[in-house]
Amino acid sequence: MERNPIRRQLAIMRQSLFDQGHVDEQFVQLEELQDDANPNFVEEVVTLYYRDSARIILNIEQALERKPFDFGKLDAYMHQFKGSSSSIGAKKVKAESTLFRECCKSGNGEGCMRSFQQLKKEYATLRKKFGAYFQLARQAGPVETASRPK
Amino acid sequence: MAPTLPSGDQASDQDNWDNGRLAHKRQLLTEIVLRNRLTALVVGGDTTCRVLEQLLLRSYGVQTQGVDNGRDAIALIASGVKFNLIIIDMILSVLNGLEATRQIRDMGVHCKMLGVTACSGESERQAFLAAGVDVFIEKPLDPEHLVPILRELDGQ
Repeated sequence: MERNPIRRQLAIMRQSLFDQGHVDEQFVQLEELQDDANPNFVEEVVTLYYRDSARIILNIEQALERKPFDFGKLDAYMHQFKGSSSSIGAKKVKAESTLFRECCKSGNGEGCMRSFQQLKKEYATLRKKFGAYFQLARQAGPVETASRPK
Repeated sequence: MAPTLPSGDQASDQDNWDNGRLAHKRQLLTEIVLRNRLTALVVGGDTTCRVLEQLLLRSYGVQTQGVDNGRDAIALIASGVKFNLIIIDMILSVLNGLEATRQIRDMGVHCKMLGVTACSGESERQAFLAAGVDVFIEKPLDPEHLVPILRELDGQ
């Protein structure tokens, strides 16, 4: 149990990311890759994800403005987005990506629009939570972690 | 930050089972030390995935290179660079993963190829295997899938 109040708060915040279903085990995988040589690795990867995925989100938005929908193209964009989201453990975002793809496969345009709106909400919510989490993590400072023999 | 687990007082049976699974995974993470120098090529169109896959490989001591499209992968291999392992994404720009895999195999490359994709539908799996990958997994690439492959390549 953390005695340091900031670290305790950080641990609670971290646990809530899992408990609320925002992240899954893959996030633990990211943490395992963080070490003394890369003390901000998780934050850097999440930042990279949001930077790169913004382009895909924009592509999907633009594709949804063109009628009739090109479901093949929409599916391809979301396929990429889903892979990227799953790599950082973004559980709810990944789940919405799957729903969107199912709508694409069944040619359900309305479903795509609804699913995409929900996806953007989850994406934004997670971004906010990560922002608060990493801000606190920076205040807490680096922790000594065991690193895998290289 | 070191991953934390629920305290013993509050852990349910499900928590204990989940913790046991996590502990087993971490054991897999730490229980491989490569005896040989292995090299890998990561062919991935998505930067986040490619960076993570490369870093995961490097954390095990595998020397890696990364390219973001199929054409550059073909060019690199055609230049004579050899790899023990190629990890290739299905969705690539310029030349997609299936076609790139076929061309790599047609070049006479027999190394282990691991196909990765965001969706593990049976048709995608069959298509990737038919193109020439040895193993097909759904993203994200994780130690549970990677470590057995590295052990095999290392002759362990």
